[in-house]
Amino acid sequence: MTEVVKVQDITKTYGKKGQKQYQALKGISFDVQRGEFVGIMGASGSGKTTLLNILSTLDQPTSGKVLINNRDITTLNKNQMADFRGQEIGFIFQDFNLLDNLTNRENIALPLSLQNVKASQIKPKVEKIAERLGIDQILDKYPAEISGGQKQRVASARALVHEPAILYGDEPTGALDSKSATELLETMKDLNENDKVSILMVTHDPYSASYAQRILFIKDGKIGNELKKENKSREEFYQEIIAELGRR
Amino acid sequence: MLWKLSLTGIKSRFKDYLVLFSGLTFASAIFYMFMSIATNSTFLKGSIAIAFKITQLVFGFGIALLAIITFVYIVYANSFLLSMRQKDYGMYMMLGARTSKIGALIFLETLVVGLFATILGTAIGIGLTQLVSQLLINQLGLQIHKFIGFYIPALLWTLVFFAALFFLAALWNRHKLVKSNVIDLLHENQKPVKLRHNPVWKFIEAILGLGLLAVGYWAMANYKVLLTNSIGIGFFTIVIGSYFVFDSFFTAIVNLLRKNKNFEYKKLHSFTLGQLKFRLGDYTRILSIVSLLFALALGAITVGLNFNNMTEQALESTYYDAVLYQESPSVKKQLKKVSVKSETTLDYKLVENKKEKIPQILYIPENEITDKKLKFQHFYMDKNGQQSYSTKTFNVKDLKDENSDRGHEMRYQLASLTPYPDAQVKVVSQDQYNQLKAKNQYVKLLLVNNFRSNFANIEKLQKMSVKQMVGQPEVESKSIEVSLTNSKSASYRFISSIASGFEFMGFFLGLAFLAMLASTLMFKVLSGANSDKPRYNMLWKMGARKSLLKSSIAKEIGVLFALPAVLGVIDVLFGLQFFKSILKNPYDKIWIPFAIFGVLYVIYYILTVVLYQGIVLKKENN
Ligand SMILES: Nc1ncnc2c1ncn2[C@@H]1O[C@H](COP(=O)(O)OP(=O)(O)O)[C@@H](O)[C@H]1O
Ligand SMILES: [Mg+2]
Repeated sequence: MTEVVKVQDITKTYGKKGQKQYQALKGISFDVQRGEFVGIMGASGSGKTTLLNILSTLDQPTSGKVLINNRDITTLNKNQMADFRGQEIGFIFQDFNLLDNLTNRENIALPLSLQNVKASQIKPKVEKIAERLGIDQILDKYPAEISGGQKQRVASARALVHEPAILYGDEPTGALDSKSATELLETMKDLNENDKVSILMVTHDPYSASYAQRILFIKDGKIGNELKKENKSREEFYQEIIAELGRR
Repeated sequence: MLWKLSLTGIKSRFKDYLVLFSGLTFASAIFYMFMSIATNSTFLKGSIAIAFKITQLVFGFGIALLAIITFVYIVYANSFLLSMRQKDYGMYMMLGARTSKIGALIFLETLVVGLFATILGTAIGIGLTQLVSQLLINQLGLQIHKFIGFYIPALLWTLVFFAALFFLAALWNRHKLVKSNVIDLLHENQKPVKLRHNPVWKFIEAILGLGLLAVGYWAMANYKVLLTNSIGIGFFTIVIGSYFVFDSFFTAIVNLLRKNKNFEYKKLHSFTLGQLKFRLGDYTRILSIVSLLFALALGAITVGLNFNNMTEQALESTYYDAVLYQESPSVKKQLKKVSVKSETTLDYKLVENKKEKIPQILYIPENEITDKKLKFQHFYMDKNGQQSYSTKTFNVKDLKDENSDRGHEMRYQLASLTPYPDAQVKVVSQDQYNQLKAKNQYVKLLLVNNFRSNFANIEKLQKMSVKQMVGQPEVESKSIEVSLTNSKSASYRFISSIASGFEFMGFFLGLAFLAMLASTLMFKVLSGANSDKPRYNMLWKMGARKSLLKSSIAKEIGVLFALPAVLGVIDVLFGLQFFKSILKNPYDKIWIPFAIFGVLYVIYYILTVVLYQGIVLKKENN
């Protein structure tokens, strides 16, 4: 097994020197193996988004290293970072972040256009991933014309169409009703198990977390305990998570 | 408490406010300049009585147009202000601020920002008026009386007009904020976009638009048949045609480009096209207005500069640049300041006989005519009905022909060279001439190098020589007056004072319109910037380089600036046909006004792009 993501002792301090400073991350280290589905759980304000932003080059750590596919992303320059995001990272956000002036098809195609993929290759790729996620019927609609659950599927398709090294989710079910949330989580699980997509999802919701294979708990900017699903059923794992949360 | 919040709100968006504030300041400055020049009678007195009426008409028309543009401008600037403040005020309301309090706040904020800008703008306007008028007068070498930038009526008009506009804007903002609910204010950006499309109607509209434009252009070109109707027809068809074209034709082009997948799926093309697709629906009206204003402004500058050609005609109307009657020491001294290309003398004798119907007879020896090959400018109408001149040489045969038109013309032209234009001309042999009992006199006919650049000295020379002649006791001064107005320098001064008035007006009108229309477009574009922020942030997260985002912005705004400009230029090119009735060649040196206009327009474009990028793209620290 090889690591897709290797995080080595990163810290993040907000605020300039001499002004009010706040340390959001206080030395975090962990790995994500290829084909793994890892969840990071923590209360609101515990530093989840900060961590994910650093892992996706949207923000830079104050200290520490992040290796993705064995490449140290903390030493890249701005353009390299942008290119890196475009090639190696897929991102789904709580509030979908679809572009409302593009059709769903155009939204999904965007990462490929950004990488100069030929137009003739874009169409089959978009349609393949859309079919995989069950949104092939709504490709030519606009995001404003579809439901929240469908939006998040379009966002997932856009995050995966360029076959990134890793898929990040920042509370991807946060804005969905429970039925749509379950459908999305089932899909993520399916993608992980059958298509070997590596996933790192941060959430404060135990139900969402129970879909992961392994859960890291983050509290006050530090990683605490770790839970593994192993051969347990999802329901058993869920109970274990609840118990773990209660212990704190 | 709320006041403090409001102030910190302003402080945190200081840069955006600065843009808004300077825009408003600029608008009132332009308005003041225009008012002061339009209503300032000292300026109007500077132009000659004939031009006076036209001047007033043109300026009246200009003021009406400028007032309309200013109104539209304030509407867009105001919507920019509202777009900045909406979220803040929504937040205060959510935190429990009373609606009436928020209403009062936005009302005051709008009014205060507006009035401060107006007062500052008027002050700048006074300075600018002084500067610009001086600059234009000097640069264009215009013959206009100087005037002072400070003029009370213009000041009052500007203040009243803007105060009224801002009062309305403040009322509107208050109404908008009080009436809409908190959720709408907070999520103004995320309004779902509605798309209505009926391809059949769009197709008909596109055809109709192009057809109407064609009719309009045809009407402008056929002013000879349609006469004043061509203005009415042209205006009506071009206004509606432009609207239809923007509403259908350009959307169709965007759709066509979106269908071309090789184009669409390249970098951010799909995004830029998507932006344009939605923008064009929202921009139809402003783009049509801007294209029309663009045409008016560019047309005004082009026609204005073209009036300079009228002076060309003035130079053509007379062959000799100066005629000297006497050469006193002072005249000789002045002559040294003029660079003379060639000089010829013409001998004559004047015989007076009070009993004759024409009491003065001008005798000229034949040799003078045959040897010296004196020339004059023959006036005629060319086949286009334009006044034209051709150079002809005097000859004895025609001069002696009592009955032909040509003979009459030549004798008149010859007499006009002397101080006795009303005298009867008789060409005689040298012998006969010698026997005449009269004093031999002569005039000196000069051709100079660079009449225009040397004009001041030439005019002075001509005046001195005439004055000297009038001073002679034996000469009737009455006939000499006539000869001064016949001189080239006099007709040049007369024509150029009219032309200068038009030139100045055209230039000023054009620049004022340009400034207003470009800033209107600028604010329309900028007021969309806040809702674009999350879109660009999203693209950035997806891995679009910042340079790519920048170029996408530049392209998108570039299209929005280019569309009305292209249509405007076409409008002008056809519209100039109409001026063929007044101007000899309205297309002459057309690149000059186009270049001036283009440079200024591009500056506005760049400014808009930079401001937009500043609002939309967040800084990458590192
Ligand atoms: N740009 C920032 N500047 C200052 N503090 C920040 C910034 N972003 C986040 N924080 C702080 O860092 C902490 C962690 O935030 P975040 O990573 O968003 O938490 P989570 O996503 O787990 O809710 C919070 O206390 C938050 O206030
Ligand atoms: Mg978060």
